[in-house]
Amino acid sequence: MSLTNLFSVSSICLVGASREEGKVGNVILKNLKKNYKGEIILVHPSAEQIEGVKCYRSIESIPHSIDLGIISLPSKKAVEALTSLAEKGCKICIPVAGGFGEQGDEGKQLESEMKRIASKFGTRIIGPNCVGVIIPRTGLNTALTTEERSNFPSDGPIGFISQSGALGLLAMDEFSDSGIGFSSFISLGNEVDVDETDMLSAMGDDDRTKSIALYLEKISEIEKFLSESRNISQKKGIVVLKGGQTESGSRATSLHTGSLLKTSFSLNGIFRQSGIIQANNEIEMIDFASVLSTAKPVRGKRIAVVSSAGGVGVISTDALENEGFKVNRTSNELAGIIKTKISQLGSPFNPIDMTAEATNIQYENVINELDKSGEFDAILAFVLFQTFGVTEDIIEFLSRFNKEAKASLVVGVIGGEYSRMAIRKMNENGIAAFPSVRRAVSSLGALYERWEFLRRFEK
Amino acid sequence: MTVVPELEFKTMLSGLNFKMPRRFLINSPEDYSGSFPAVLKVSSEAITHKTEVGAVMGDIKTMGNFKETFKEMKRKFPGETIYAEEMAKKGVEVIIGLVKDQQFGKLLMFGIGGFYSELIRDVTFKRIPIDRFDSEDLLEELKFGRVFEGYRGLKVNREILVDLLLKISDFAVKKEFSQIDFNPVFLYEDGYLIIDAKMVI
Repeated sequence: MSLTNLFSVSSICLVGASREEGKVGNVILKNLKKNYKGEIILVHPSAEQIEGVKCYRSIESIPHSIDLGIISLPSKKAVEALTSLAEKGCKICIPVAGGFGEQGDEGKQLESEMKRIASKFGTRIIGPNCVGVIIPRTGLNTALTTEERSNFPSDGPIGFISQSGALGLLAMDEFSDSGIGFSSFISLGNEVDVDETDMLSAMGDDDRTKSIALYLEKISEIEKFLSESRNISQKKGIVVLKGGQTESGSRATSLHTGSLLKTSFSLNGIFRQSGIIQANNEIEMIDFASVLSTAKPVRGKRIAVVSSAGGVGVISTDALENEGFKVNRTSNELAGIIKTKISQLGSPFNPIDMTAEATNIQYENVINELDKSGEFDAILAFVLFQTFGVTEDIIEFLSRFNKEAKASLVVGVIGGEYSRMAIRKMNENGIAAFPSVRRAVSSLGALYERWEFLRRFEK
Repeated sequence: MTVVPELEFKTMLSGLNFKMPRRFLINSPEDYSGSFPAVLKVSSEAITHKTEVGAVMGDIKTMGNFKETFKEMKRKFPGETIYAEEMAKKGVEVIIGLVKDQQFGKLLMFGIGGFYSELIRDVTFKRIPIDRFDSEDLLEELKFGRVFEGYRGLKVNREILVDLLLKISDFAVKKEFSQIDFNPVFLYEDGYLIIDAKMVI
């Protein structure tokens, strides 16, 4: 059983379930009971049942095989449980508790013991000292948060790997009401066995994962990571937010190259060789992963801007040109056609301003004409709901356009509660929608970078 | 770590068809038959940062001047090999470097050269080998990459630059080294010249 099975396991064994409210072993159990679609097996030394789920006295006494073990026990006991699970043939184990390598020599020894078990039995270990995993499609969730305080992610196309469990949960919580879903979230913890590359490969093989976001502080085997990324990024987009300094291994500084390597080294150029797109912060990381999972790569620099607010068109143009794009003027022929589709007060030249008189049908007509003309590689449409002519019905058209058009589509929606709800619906319908000019433009940048990589493999 | 004498390294590069200013080994001033202005340089294993110690003397305009400078250099660096080059006309300056890194393997560095280069440190790195797309990306990745579209009347042939980067990557694949500097490289509308090249094994 490979790591990919993690996404579909139909039964799990929780060792260390607790009756006490607020204890980790209790929170995990309650979350599982509420959301997990498969069978839950509990192990507890004395309890008959917890939360209505039958307990076995020991791992050994479970009468059937185990696919996945979640261990919520402190350090030494966790290693004992891991040994029993591995001996029973369990293929993936997730010890969530801390108290290992991060806490000195004794903990490091326990980690070596875990490594030994992993290689002896072929059991894959995620963690320890991690939030664990969240797989929305099966409801598997080992996170230590409760649904009252933090939204659990819904199912969707983004696979998310994080070397910080907390940062991962925060980022997903932040995006949960934008309608952005996740195929899986994996917190790697101390990485005694499974590392970022192993998990990347597993997500590469998972059909439900359309793009992969990684928050990384260290990359254990850079060579392996880069070559696996290059393979996977031919099929799906990979976004990395790299925290902390990455230093090269070189020490020699006798020539200029050596000293610049020391002072000014950046992973950007090296990542791009492997098709990895770098994000600058946690918002960009998820924005980029989201846009890569839904929109088409942008195959050139010519962008059409469509809006019902002149100012939004103007600042988008500035932002796009800063990003290296061209907001090229529509040809006279195309402008002539667009002129007949929009208000007389509007402007048919790029950026196209339909004025506050804009309606759904105007958006539809203009966007279709822009695509048909072949004059643009992407369309950035600001769909603004503050005026009466624009309604949510437009989502149906945008969704269809996104699937059928030649040009890539990115949507911006600026505004309060009503607009946020619209963004949510758009994202749920596979339309890349963003709440600001900045974020929409950066995401177009990511789509262009994606094409810059993919064009290598085009004939 | 050994420094390859510059003249030796440049001779090797000429053999591989890298373009450099015309070069002459100088035992006596009469050995120079190039044009003026000229540059006199010491090719040494010990000195790698030469401008600081006067081992490079540029802007030599006449034969008289040449003779004097040569005499002065001979006195300052007895026993060292001295060579001369025709002074190249100004182009857009870039730095191209190679370094063997323990973590990443062989890396190619590309950056903006010239007076402010130490200040702006506009450089980017790729793992070797690079392909044509990587080579084009190198130009895009620099913050001041717009200089390649032309700057202050200086024009650059992007195609030639992309080819040069590929040629250097190819060279790096076959060679063992610790660090190599091509610094500066002058880019022109119709070509390029590697002005200085240093190699440490």
